[in-house]
Amino acid sequence: MTEPDVLSNLGISTPASLEQQLDRFALDVGELYGRQKERAEQLEQNLVQMRTTFLETVRSMAYVVEAKDAYTGQHLERCRVYGNTLMQALGVAGDYPDAEYGFLLHDVGKVGVPERILNKPGPLTAAEWRVMRTHPIIGYQILQGIPFMTTAASIVRCHHEMWDGAGYPEGLSGEQIPLPARVFQVVDAFDAMTTDRPYRASLGVERAAEEIQRMAGTQFDPEVCRIFGDLVDTLPQRL
Amino acid sequence: MTDRQGGAKRVVLVVDDDSAIRRVVRTVLEADNFDVVEAADGPAALLLLDAINGRGPEAVVLDIMMPGIDGIEVCRRIDHDRVKVVMLSARDDADTRDRAAKAGADAYLTKPFSAIELLDAVEKLTP
Repeated sequence: MTEPDVLSNLGISTPASLEQQLDRFALDVGELYGRQKERAEQLEQNLVQMRTTFLETVRSMAYVVEAKDAYTGQHLERCRVYGNTLMQALGVAGDYPDAEYGFLLHDVGKVGVPERILNKPGPLTAAEWRVMRTHPIIGYQILQGIPFMTTAASIVRCHHEMWDGAGYPEGLSGEQIPLPARVFQVVDAFDAMTTDRPYRASLGVERAAEEIQRMAGTQFDPEVCRIFGDLVDTLPQRL
Repeated sequence: MTDRQGGAKRVVLVVDDDSAIRRVVRTVLEADNFDVVEAADGPAALLLLDAINGRGPEAVVLDIMMPGIDGIEVCRRIDHDRVKVVMLSARDDADTRDRAAKAGADAYLTKPFSAIELLDAVEKLTP
């Protein structure tokens, strides 16, 4: 009897058979790695697709709310792009992944404001203003139940607050106002000032940028304004 | 790679006179959340099957060339309605495969064996 035969009759693997088994398992590892990688790539693709679909859905929701206002055509998209750029410059984009949904949906609460108030040609009465000023809370209530929209909901709720506490609905001030909402206030105001409106022409980027700096510390977070001042020239003007 | 929902772990009996093979088969199966019991020869396997009758195992991974009662004979004595059999043998000839099939084996793998093929076979037989 050869040595391998003796070993195998004793129920013990030969070194050669163990080595073959090891080679086979090594192939398995390669195969599994390949499958896993392919799966991960597939999942990554699906994720990108889902994110796109979700963003488009949110965008549609936002457009429905503002469909009657010609100005808002690209305003929402510019707010989103400017807002994302500013969040990145502040180094906090990764902390608030759903901020862009809030930039798009900031006025979603206007669905709860009667049209005769929204589109009233003349100045609003005090009572009408009270109704108008409920839209951040209405918007917040619409979004608050969605788990991955907590930042978006906070932007919607606080987009009319001011750094000095003079805003609404709650009169929050300074860092009581969530950072993404402070970012939104700046880009929203900037876009409003750099867009032609029926009753006035655009201020131009330079003047608008000056206005933003002038309101730093009263209406806006001064630090957000400072960073915004650094990047304002790099923003795409027409989207 | 799924645990059965809400139920207990599936049990697999590994029968091989080679302790190294039993060990690697156990490791592969346990990695996929199976419970593994071992037997080192045919008589021990049949005793175990009787002893745990009705409570599993759901599958047996069975070597063929063993001293005493060989794997083909063990396979023939198994209640195939209850227990699925995966043959795991160094023999790769048509005659042995044929005898295993006639004895009621549900799958036939050769040594050296692929961990992927083993798991695929056992998963498929114990849904």
